[in-house]
Amino acid sequence: MKKSDKPPKSNMVIKEQRAAYVFLIPAFLGLSLITYLPLLAALFVGFTDLTIGHMVRGEAPQFVGLKNFIDIFTNPSIDFFNSILVTVYFALFAVVSSVVYSMFIAILLNRRIPGRAFFRAVFYVPYILPAVATIISWSFLLRFEGGLINYFLVNMGFDRVHFLSSAETVVPSLVMIAVWACGNLIVIFLAGLQNVPRTYMEAAEVDGANFWQRFWKITIPCMTPIIFFNMLMSLVVNLQIVVPALAVTSGGPGKSTMFMTYLMYHYGPRSGQYATASAIAFLFFMIAAILAAVLFITSKNWIFYEGGDDK
Amino acid sequence: MKKAKIIAILCAAIMILGLVAACGGSGSSGRVELVFALWGDPAELETTQEALDVFNDMQDRIRVTAIQIAQEEYSERLLTMAAGGNMPDCGMVDERTAIGWTREGLILPIDIYAGQPSKPKDGITFKDNGQTVAYSVASEVLGLWFNKDMFDAAGVPYPPATLETAWQWDEFIEVAKQLTFDANGNTPNDPDFDARNIVQYGAYVNCWAWQMEVWALSNGGRWYSQDGKSIVFDAAAIEGMQNVYDLYLVHNVAPFNAGQEDNGWWFSIGAGNVAMGTDGQWSTGFAGDSDIDYGVAVLPYMKQQANITAGGPVAVFADTDHPDEAAEFLRWYSDPENNWGPIEAGWWMPNMMNWFTDEALLKRWIDDTPNRARLPASSFRTAMADVALHPSTQPTGWYYTPNTDQVDRILIASLSEAANGSKTVAQVIEEVRPALEAALAG
Amino acid sequence: MSGITNQTDIKIKAPGFGGLQSKKRTKMIFDIVSFTCIVIISALVLLPIYWIFRSSLMGSLDIFLWPPSFLPMGTINPVEWQWENYIIRPTSYDFWRYLGNSLTISVPCVIFGTSTAISCGYAFARLQFRGKRFLFALCVGSMLMPAAVTLVPLYMAWTAIGVVDSYLPLILPFLCGGGAFNIFLLRQFIRTIPKELDEAAKIDGAGYFRTLVSIIVPSIKSAIIVVSLLIFITTWNDLLQQLIYIHSRENYTMVLGLTAFFGTFKADFAGMFAATMLTIIPCLTIYILGQRYFVEGIVMTGMKN
Repeated sequence: MKKSDKPPKSNMVIKEQRAAYVFLIPAFLGLSLITYLPLLAALFVGFTDLTIGHMVRGEAPQFVGLKNFIDIFTNPSIDFFNSILVTVYFALFAVVSSVVYSMFIAILLNRRIPGRAFFRAVFYVPYILPAVATIISWSFLLRFEGGLINYFLVNMGFDRVHFLSSAETVVPSLVMIAVWACGNLIVIFLAGLQNVPRTYMEAAEVDGANFWQRFWKITIPCMTPIIFFNMLMSLVVNLQIVVPALAVTSGGPGKSTMFMTYLMYHYGPRSGQYATASAIAFLFFMIAAILAAVLFITSKNWIFYEGGDDK
Repeated sequence: MKKAKIIAILCAAIMILGLVAACGGSGSSGRVELVFALWGDPAELETTQEALDVFNDMQDRIRVTAIQIAQEEYSERLLTMAAGGNMPDCGMVDERTAIGWTREGLILPIDIYAGQPSKPKDGITFKDNGQTVAYSVASEVLGLWFNKDMFDAAGVPYPPATLETAWQWDEFIEVAKQLTFDANGNTPNDPDFDARNIVQYGAYVNCWAWQMEVWALSNGGRWYSQDGKSIVFDAAAIEGMQNVYDLYLVHNVAPFNAGQEDNGWWFSIGAGNVAMGTDGQWSTGFAGDSDIDYGVAVLPYMKQQANITAGGPVAVFADTDHPDEAAEFLRWYSDPENNWGPIEAGWWMPNMMNWFTDEALLKRWIDDTPNRARLPASSFRTAMADVALHPSTQPTGWYYTPNTDQVDRILIASLSEAANGSKTVAQVIEEVRPALEAALAG
Repeated sequence: MSGITNQTDIKIKAPGFGGLQSKKRTKMIFDIVSFTCIVIISALVLLPIYWIFRSSLMGSLDIFLWPPSFLPMGTINPVEWQWENYIIRPTSYDFWRYLGNSLTISVPCVIFGTSTAISCGYAFARLQFRGKRFLFALCVGSMLMPAAVTLVPLYMAWTAIGVVDSYLPLILPFLCGGGAFNIFLLRQFIRTIPKELDEAAKIDGAGYFRTLVSIIVPSIKSAIIVVSLLIFITTWNDLLQQLIYIHSRENYTMVLGLTAFFGTFKADFAGMFAATMLTIIPCLTIYILGQRYFVEGIVMTGMKN
């Protein structure tokens, strides 16, 4: 029962509330059923020994406490710690590179250059293509035997590079592909750049500030909220990287692309070890949450807020 | 308070839906309906369907329908079906998961040939602690495929096709050197040879993880103990595998091959820039479509002759209500007579012993099938059929070892570091040995 | 990449002229440099797509030739473009069926997802209610949660319900708000519309639903197009979920058909590239049709905070 601890509400307010709740039914459903409830389920299953065998035999799984959470770190054939390292390494590398690259392209595209609309469209194309299709194309371009990039390298007198087939170069190569596909960030930066107040720029120009000074003193500060937003979005996307491992590298060379999602896929749908997969999933969430929290907390120091806008 | 209530109600709703779905009954039409799962390309489905039509028409107790799943997704698809309670009645199984799935209870440990007069060859029988759980429908061995035009052009005699005349590893490397050319026509024996600009390679050894086992055996080593209970990977096994990677790393006669994918034939003979390459018997099947004139020879060997048998098994799945009928169908399906299509095309070798000993049958599946006849048939007989029976040919680990899918995943990922030379095989194995042992233990 | 850093160097050095005349000149130099940069980088961006196209027109053997040829021609089948690579047997890659299946998933997702996202975005942007901050925080929070986390539990739930080999697990989630990012985007956009419009409608006696349909929706058209396209792209390309929920070949989608094609015919490289090309063409078409609204749409969303 609702307790009215606040002054009595008018009819209007109650009507508005009711309307809001009706409008929000889909979000309620989505947040509870397909987001937070499965998260709790992952945590719950992670404490059991559920495998495909239980489901086939119709047996109830046993409660095993923290066993799975300990196992995924101590069992060398799972080695979740390595997965955390390679995923976070990839994700941070990709976030920083994508943000720098897309900011650079957005600034270029924001100038009055011929065919601007066309180029804007071009840079967005990689983002819309199926990742399987593009990773296959990249894997051929980067092939050690007969790849175009290595052909250029040989012709320029360099040694061939193993790109996707050596533990040192595979993550940087995948970062390059991730950067290539980050057209969405460019568009969002473009949106931000158009909102940098004209008056600031003009005032600075009158004061004799050169391009570089204007960039650092006006553009960047005004863009910090957008940079933050893009970093966050890019982080979430890149933490989930899985298609290159599925389609090309199978987690190798070594364990260098044994990304968390791939490991989860391998133990869940691929082998039916659901308890292990759920433990991985839950810890994955914790890691993503921690990284996002770190980003949020540090952001207070570098985000420049123009006015007192509510979040 | 309210939110908790909503969540509780939703939970209940999910469970109720699940129960309703689980209780959904199935109708029956008098005949036993079986679903048979297989992988492969849709063309194979057509030939399989023809076989099933024959089976469905010749009796009126059982009707079988086939579902086909792409090979790379085969296991996860079957697991999804199993989790949803609608696994097929029987079907093919990934070799690597056969024993593990039996232990999980997904496969019924039925010897479909129990009490039958003739059984498939022992080398293609899956055994868990000595108990038979499944048989391969085909019996495959590895061979050395070679491009005849390239050998002719270099004036090098074709590789030997009998075990008695097989090349030793060093001879193999020497011949490979004569067949490797850079853009200027130099071979690795010439001082001016440019290893970065090779246009034709002499040799290719399929490095896909499971095929590497043969080189461990060839060098007198082992991957698994005889009882399938422990990881061996002894010094001889490690050296044998290193020899393979050295074809590229040291001798410059092979293309780089990370072994992360099974494209053996196509990256070797099929790519048109390799003179000879190792791969399974099934490569015969490519002969019909290929522009390349190729033949088959026996594998070279290191310290001793060695080959491995392989082949996808069929099994009865746990969900079925009709295990006896499923076993009867699988027995019928595994009989070469009834599944002639893949054998004729060259994808499979027969599984039954008598097809390797009875001259009339040998003639039927070797000399009278065009894809084998063009190799020619005589070399196929000595390099494949004879090898399949030879005592030096052993079953791969997955016939007697559990969890080889996990072992395989670790090997595929880690051995690619040995393939590119950043580590030696010894270093790689030392690093992953605990992981391999843990994977084997499950 | 070295090209890019060089260009930046020029940029740093270039300023420093005095006077109006040279200022103009500096600006012009900047424009030229930017344009050159953009042309070079966009050529690199398009290279992988061109490479698919180039390889799809070659013989399978020519794809591996060393040195690789930049144009689709080889020594074994010189000059002739192998258009017949595109004649893929429907049993291997059933283009029209897969196209139909992909649309069967994406179109309902776009319709449900966009409409529920509008409704939620409207509530968050305009209406006052208890628990708004908390709900919005939950919503934004879910944006930060990688979808991969819920993959296994959801998969188990759907199989427990018995909905396997069906599109429901792929479509139904889009009845639930169409993703937090889209709700967020629409909320931001709706907030840019002057409130006076709503109030005028209210005075005319319009309810909340009428206001939403007749005032809000027409004024956020470009944002709606953006959200629709985003949902379309997400559902079209979602390999991982399709891989898990769709079993039979007749239910395959375009990306799934492509993966299966790799799995089964990875030998037929030319055919593989042709199939890849066929897979990306529908995406490209939709994008080219909508891109004018699309890029502008996001640019105008006023992605401020």
